[in-house]
Amino acid sequence: MLDSNVHAQLAAILPPAALLVAPEQTRPYECDGLTLFRALPAAVVLPETEAQVVAILKACHAARIPVVARGAGTGLSGGALPDPAGIVLSLAKFKRIVSIDALARTAVVQPGVRNLAISEAAAAYGLYYAPDPSSQIACTIGGNVAENAGGVHCLKYGLTVHNLRRVRGVLITGEIVEFGGDALDNAGYDLLALMTGSEGLLAVMTEITVKLTPKPQLAQVVLAAFDDVEKAGAAVAAIIGAGIIPAGLEMMDQPATRAVEQFVHADYPLDAAAVLLVESDGTPEEVGAEIEEIRRLLTEAGATGLRVSKDEAQRLLLWSGRKAAFPAVGRISPDYYCMDGTIPRKALPRVLRAIAQWSREFELRCANVFHAGDGNLHPLILFDANKPGESEKTVAFGDRILELCIEVGGTVTGEHGVGVEKLNSMCVQFAPEELARFHGIKEAFDAYRLLNPGKAVPTLHRCAEMGRMRVHHGALPHPDLPRF
Amino acid sequence: MKTPIRAQPAADAVAAVIGTLARDFGDRAQTGNAIREQHGHGEGLADAALPDVVVFPQSNEEVAGIVRLCHAARVPVIAFGVGTSLEGHVAALYGGVCIDTSQMNRVLEVNTADLDCRVQAGVTREQVNAELKDTGLFFPIDPGANASIGGMASTRASGTNAVRYGTMRENVLGLTVVTADGRIIRTGGRARKSSAGYDLTRLFVGAEGTLGVITEVQLRLYGLPEAVSAAVCQFPDLRNAVDTVINAMQMGIPVARIELLDALQMRACIEYSKLDGYASLPTLLFEFHGSEAGVREQAQMMEAISKEHGGSAFQWATQPEDRSRLWKSRHNAYYAALALAPGKQAFATDACVPISRLADCLLETRAELDREGVLAPIVGHVGDGNFHVVVLFDPASAAERAKAEDIARRVSLRAIAMGGTCTGEHGIGLHKLEALVAEHGEAVDLMRTIKRALDPLDIMNPGKTVPGARQPIADSAC
Repeated sequence: MLDSNVHAQLAAILPPAALLVAPEQTRPYECDGLTLFRALPAAVVLPETEAQVVAILKACHAARIPVVARGAGTGLSGGALPDPAGIVLSLAKFKRIVSIDALARTAVVQPGVRNLAISEAAAAYGLYYAPDPSSQIACTIGGNVAENAGGVHCLKYGLTVHNLRRVRGVLITGEIVEFGGDALDNAGYDLLALMTGSEGLLAVMTEITVKLTPKPQLAQVVLAAFDDVEKAGAAVAAIIGAGIIPAGLEMMDQPATRAVEQFVHADYPLDAAAVLLVESDGTPEEVGAEIEEIRRLLTEAGATGLRVSKDEAQRLLLWSGRKAAFPAVGRISPDYYCMDGTIPRKALPRVLRAIAQWSREFELRCANVFHAGDGNLHPLILFDANKPGESEKTVAFGDRILELCIEVGGTVTGEHGVGVEKLNSMCVQFAPEELARFHGIKEAFDAYRLLNPGKAVPTLHRCAEMGRMRVHHGALPHPDLPRF
Repeated sequence: MKTPIRAQPAADAVAAVIGTLARDFGDRAQTGNAIREQHGHGEGLADAALPDVVVFPQSNEEVAGIVRLCHAARVPVIAFGVGTSLEGHVAALYGGVCIDTSQMNRVLEVNTADLDCRVQAGVTREQVNAELKDTGLFFPIDPGANASIGGMASTRASGTNAVRYGTMRENVLGLTVVTADGRIIRTGGRARKSSAGYDLTRLFVGAEGTLGVITEVQLRLYGLPEAVSAAVCQFPDLRNAVDTVINAMQMGIPVARIELLDALQMRACIEYSKLDGYASLPTLLFEFHGSEAGVREQAQMMEAISKEHGGSAFQWATQPEDRSRLWKSRHNAYYAALALAPGKQAFATDACVPISRLADCLLETRAELDREGVLAPIVGHVGDGNFHVVVLFDPASAAERAKAEDIARRVSLRAIAMGGTCTGEHGIGLHKLEALVAEHGEAVDLMRTIKRALDPLDIMNPGKTVPGARQPIADSAC
């Protein structure tokens, strides 16, 4: 229940239709793309001006009410999971493309603008916004910044953090701040990078300037089939090791290609244990030379079949399978759990072997789609939440995968963020000293921890508790912490 | 903004720290005047502020030990690479301990399959590339000086080919940092991307040693391009040279480097580096990387654009030694500028503006310099909107120095007013504290809060980067 005093203040800031408190109105906001976790917020607010955001945050700050910012709700780690005692601040009405500067190759947009809408608007100038998470038709740029989202083309063109110029936002105290600027570099601490991937814990964004990239004259994709997953992994290493940075380098295993084929009919070879999609873009000369070299490397690595897209329609068809992988898997299993670890590329064969073995041990199917070029794994564990014990088994399987990612020198999240999903894994990845720095930074922005509380960075107590449950070889992590 | 004055650290505390360092480090802890003088300034102004002692650690643990000692005694810590900074970053304003990383000079690992390597902070840029020689890989960031990787990370350096490869911001994958309380932390890692936790890597990159001491750096590497060629093109006036650059960027030609030298700078370089066959005219230097076919295609497009703007025919340098000579003369531009008037010193400004404002900013600046009658050549990595004015002044004349300082300030403010920054690559250090406030306003408060959160005693390179971060030492008791 929302405090009546705060309710009155919010009602004075917002029109009635922009303040939702009845459960039937707030129900659509109870979770994001990670549906394992749900909670009803005390209220949902839908401001449409920056002044309203400032007023809302000031009111919440004064009353110590938690605030969870939300874009399209496509996040996969529970970053937009409401706090039952707090409000959800939806940026759905901030959906204006403010300006496009073709010469500077930048676009100024509001946070609720959909990722793909930016590229559509920039197309008239021969430009596009490069990071392309698979959910790009729905996800918003504000959410992309909050999670430092990637996509199939970020191998060559970088993550969200590499494609931003400036972010304007509001601190929990109501102060308006701007990070970054219109020039290539900025003076002082890199607060723009700090904001990127901060999962709504530091500020609420109100305006974002993104970099735009010229559309390449030509793009071609090679589809390569392999009779063995590890050979496909080795082919990835061979391509990168040869100094080629393809525009996209994606891998799918057989369970994934079979699911996809039924759904979008992308004409994938179904007898292959794994397929690679390798894209080259640039001028026709460059693409021609690079595709030749890629074909040679794939053949040497033992590809059993190669196909090169002949025109744009064929290229898009080949990619449609990869982009539709998640919904396709959703069709063949009642539930699936998507993981998001990143590992050094050369550890790929070892990790794939382990996942295959655990899949047999846990008796859970697992379809693998990877941003193979940058080592970002998305194992999709297929399960049925209605079968007793299956959810728990799934989470245990997932934890094993993430712990292995860290063991081989990787990280627990490549692009989906920590949210609530990976809080425990953060305790494995980061030492208490490092988590203490994170908390110090949070404190500097938001002393009362009101913005998206309980997400992204676990408390040291939580890590200590988790450590107690998993004492390995008698070694107790964080021995200096107080225990319960 | 008035900066609260901080007392020098207590003399007995400093003496005790020196005593402990001398005991633990032997002749790797030095207090001689000459060595302290050498560590009291960078390559910019000759103004020096000496540290009390210079230590040469060799490991993360040794650095952590030094910082813990300083933390307990509340004595400042200033990290020092090779001293090529231009903004007074290394000046020991409050004395203290200078940590010279020159003995932390090992390349720890090279992962050819993952295109990365890990080096100790004191490894220099040229050393990295020498070690990579047989791998077919290279590290592209090239600020001119043979700076240390730790220093380049700390100042978020870039250089002549940032237009193609980015700056240190894009090319540092992870760090080992000794924090202000002497703990060793690792940020980032070998994974190509991560959305776990706040981006501490990029927070320490560019923090200029004010949040911690960088001791190890994980660098992104690139495959050596199959073909490289360089060309020189001269223009009748500055506007045409700049418009050529803007056109090229607009068309998305992936040039690896584009450098602008104005007529005065070109004259200086011709005299200093004994270049033959060039006139003292505004000049662009290009370098193209890629496949044979790609390089040829890029160069043809570039030459066509240059011609439209009245550019001369391209003079080619396809042999490695010709290219080296060309780029060496560019790298020596600062010394060439100084040689225009022996005995003078220089303020080197470092403005960076959106490419769409580059022509306005450069032409207004050039006109102002001519109006004021100062000797001030302009060079720039113009592909990314970054340029430097080297304002020469006579150090013996207070009036001349004040005027040069004023002109440098106006360049910063003009860039900021055009949506740019007062520093594209050199950093804030000591000289641009005021401009930082003009550029960032409220966000400077946040920087200050972050500084206090990570270095509550203000011992890490105090007085730099964030104006007014300091509190009187008595307030910060723990």
